[in-house]
Amino acid sequence: MKKKFHIGKAILYTMLVLYAIVTLIPFLWALSSSFKNLEEIVSGTINFIPKDFTLDNYKQIFIEQEMFPRWLFNSLFIAVTVTLLNLLFNSMAGYVLARLSFPGKKTLFIIILAVLMIPAQVTMIPNYLILKQLGWLNSYQGMIVPVMINATFIFMMRQFFINFPKELEEAAALDGLSRFGIFFRIVLPLARPALAAQAIFVFMGSWNDFMRPLIILSDPAMFTLPLGLNTFKSQYISYWNYIMAASMVFTLPMLVIYVFFNRYFIKGISFTGGK
Amino acid sequence: MKEKISKKALREAGSSYLLLSPTLFVLLLFIIGPILFAVYLAFHKVELLGITSFEFVGFSNFEKILEDTRAKIALWNTVKYVIIVVPCQTLLALVLAATLNAGLKGEKFFRIVYFLPTLTSSAVLTLIFMWMYNQNGLINNVLKLFGFPTYNWLGDPDVALNAIMIMNIWSTAPFFMVIYLAALQDIPDSLYEAAELDGANTLQKFWYVTVPYLKPVTSFVVIMGLIGTFQLFDQSYIFSKGSGGPNNSTLTVVLLIYQYAFKNLGTMGYAAALAFALAIIILVATLLQRKFSKEESLY
Amino acid sequence: MSPKKWLATIGVTSVFFGSLLAGCGGENAEKKDGEGKQGEKVEVTLAGWGGNPTEQKLLQQTLDDFEAKHPNIDVKLEVISEQAQYMDVIKTRLIGGEGPDVFYLDAFEAPALIETGVLEPLDEYVTDDFDIDDFEKPLLDAFKGKDGKIYGFPKDYSTLALLYNKKMFKEAGVEVPKTWDELREVAKKLTKGTEVYGLGVNPELARLYHIAESKGGKVVTNNKASFADPKVVEALQPIVDMHLKDKSAAQPNEVGAGWGGEMFGQGKAAMVIEGNWAIPFLQDTFPNLEYGTAEVPTIDGKKATMAYTVAYVMNKDSNKKEAAWKLISYLTGKEGMKTWTSKGYALPTRKSVAAELGYDKDELRAPLVAGASYATVWQQGTNLPIIVNNFNNQFVSAFLGERPLAKALEEAQETANKEIESK
Repeated sequence: MKKKFHIGKAILYTMLVLYAIVTLIPFLWALSSSFKNLEEIVSGTINFIPKDFTLDNYKQIFIEQEMFPRWLFNSLFIAVTVTLLNLLFNSMAGYVLARLSFPGKKTLFIIILAVLMIPAQVTMIPNYLILKQLGWLNSYQGMIVPVMINATFIFMMRQFFINFPKELEEAAALDGLSRFGIFFRIVLPLARPALAAQAIFVFMGSWNDFMRPLIILSDPAMFTLPLGLNTFKSQYISYWNYIMAASMVFTLPMLVIYVFFNRYFIKGISFTGGK
Repeated sequence: MKEKISKKALREAGSSYLLLSPTLFVLLLFIIGPILFAVYLAFHKVELLGITSFEFVGFSNFEKILEDTRAKIALWNTVKYVIIVVPCQTLLALVLAATLNAGLKGEKFFRIVYFLPTLTSSAVLTLIFMWMYNQNGLINNVLKLFGFPTYNWLGDPDVALNAIMIMNIWSTAPFFMVIYLAALQDIPDSLYEAAELDGANTLQKFWYVTVPYLKPVTSFVVIMGLIGTFQLFDQSYIFSKGSGGPNNSTLTVVLLIYQYAFKNLGTMGYAAALAFALAIIILVATLLQRKFSKEESLY
Repeated sequence: MSPKKWLATIGVTSVFFGSLLAGCGGENAEKKDGEGKQGEKVEVTLAGWGGNPTEQKLLQQTLDDFEAKHPNIDVKLEVISEQAQYMDVIKTRLIGGEGPDVFYLDAFEAPALIETGVLEPLDEYVTDDFDIDDFEKPLLDAFKGKDGKIYGFPKDYSTLALLYNKKMFKEAGVEVPKTWDELREVAKKLTKGTEVYGLGVNPELARLYHIAESKGGKVVTNNKASFADPKVVEALQPIVDMHLKDKSAAQPNEVGAGWGGEMFGQGKAAMVIEGNWAIPFLQDTFPNLEYGTAEVPTIDGKKATMAYTVAYVMNKDSNKKEAAWKLISYLTGKEGMKTWTSKGYALPTRKSVAAELGYDKDELRAPLVAGASYATVWQQGTNLPIIVNNFNNQFVSAFLGERPLAKALEEAQETANKEIESK
């Protein structure tokens, strides 16, 4: 897809760079703050290069927090499992809702949309009661099973599958592939960009999740990173130096995931059909 | 003949439900279950803590909403918020995605940089914004430089909500940008080639090929935007320390629900009623959106 | 087709919920029989919010000492890391019957929680050598229920004091104010445009309550809001005037600070009224700042300040009550309290411990300790959370000059009382 931006290419690049600055400044500021001491951060001055460059904040997080490796493992394990399950289950459901016909389809789709409209604040307590009844508080399954599907991304996958060319599937059906065969062998590989987007979001959602673990997990050994590192915040005193360092530690894995999946947003790799 | 069709339909229904089974399991147990419990709460006056009590009160929790001035203010704030934020973030996301998909040099770099706001944790974002929005902060300094009036961004009720809006658009647009980026990969080149043969320029191709093709995804983006903004909570909670002030200017419906559900004991039923009222409003907004966009394939 | 599905859905879930609700009661009874035998190791859970790293270490040290003394009791510390949401989490866990055995409870939340009946009255457990009279009485009274029983023992407290920047005072050539009138004059002299304000103000009821009631008005009457009383308005008006007319006071967020201590440390306020928590913060964060503390200035010759306190309370559903009491009595006993308050992060609620640690003679903490005798404890009946919420919401708008104070408070009072009545 070659584009010719004869006119306004310069303007376009200027705008791109300007917007990049707008998005980059807060991040750079947080990055530089993670190498500052608390006094310098709260002094309110606007400088991007730390006056007293220090690695103490990272040392505090990695070394003084004995539980850190454990929290990191918990977060990674939960996020990766949740992401894999979501990719599979949401795509299955999205495909069925986009392509197949079965009794109750319309109702189910409306329900999936409708549950998104109820704010989580009122379902938090009943949710907790259910997990308690299952004996899943303080456990990995309690953190994983209730979020192994996600109505938002079922909806998203459906919207993607609707656009897919039917012809390929029909041809595959003629070749004698079953529904499952079509789904796993033809449809899923085609959906790589959508799956990549979904993977980024589900991973991020799980990685950043705060309110759910706060309620479900009471044992520090089961804590996820956001929960563990949040102990640096207290009512009056916020250790912004640690929070900044912690937020960098949070952000890095997500950035890696994002960069990795970005490969699938390039024309040509994904799309082979659709003539 | 008739039998054959129904057999095929039966098989299709079977595989449908098999593929749906994980979804149905989680949906029933962890989503619909709690919601039904909330429905039950909405019709009762409840005390869940200690000596629990449930008293059936019919629709009185819903009637109370009509007399609750704070609920009206919260709804008005939220609607204002939705009307401004949803179109802005959708448009911004679409333009960003289209630009970053055009095969420009340095595209990869921009894609990563533009996504950073979504990655930055909300605690840090809040601090950064406190720092940028304060009286002697970055934004006021820039405004001063160009001779514009400066504002007390965080304190002044007239601008506090705007400050939150800007922050929200800036940090959620990249989320939708990624979805558009994914969707753009699926547009068949043949469509563009055909348009080029008709002599369409870049803008025309964007408008007549890209935008229509993205319709189902736009519909997703708008509906998710509606849901997300109608349920705005975090930012107004952080900015007002949970009170919704000054003068109710940052009070949103979900903040009000939260106050009733957790801060005051014994008003859980009313909170649930408010939540369903909100859900109905979102539903209506979604249907309106659907009507405007005339998308045939939503159901 | 679809009505049937609906029915099935509702059916499944209601069956599920039935078993759920039935199960709740059953399980607790089971537990009571099964555990807590003599000689076996008992695990007691203790929940609180996180503090700064030094504070956490102090608590851990106190708990280690306790475990050394009681080898058959293990204390499991559960840190609920977000203090703003601490009560939400505790309430949710209590509703689920999974509450911790012992937990922190702020005096502000105490009346409402005591009323629900989830807390264990502690009077029966108290022995003579626990020496209940040693506690500062107003702080202990904050955890008494309507029935006169004690539901918690205060672990520490702080009052408010005036913090002033010595350098700025010297430059302006002013004395530390003793009365609010003096403070107002001094603040004008200390202010330098929008760079430095004389006084940093936290426009919240928690910090203004004692001022609001200084002219004889009441903020709360019969568990309802009454802060629109002209006497309350008269008492609060000077604070608003300092911001709008004198331009000598500002709230922290106007200068980009998160709270008063930060504003003070950054040198953007010459005076703030803060508690003991500010002292270690300033020490850690702004070690070069030269400042002093003084008692909160008087109004009409009367001394007044606020006191904030937190207690250890026991879950009524706990099945390890004996061990839980041992823990509470150690943590709020003379020995445990001494360890916990030894570094000055919190002030001891026992007179004997305070005397032993000598905080009444500490240069920075003496005014805080002095305040304890006349402070108003931050607590007022079960409806205070609603009242506070509406007050804060509207007071800020008056503080910012959006509307007259009297009108703002009148509207806030009306909304608050409507909310209370319809509860």
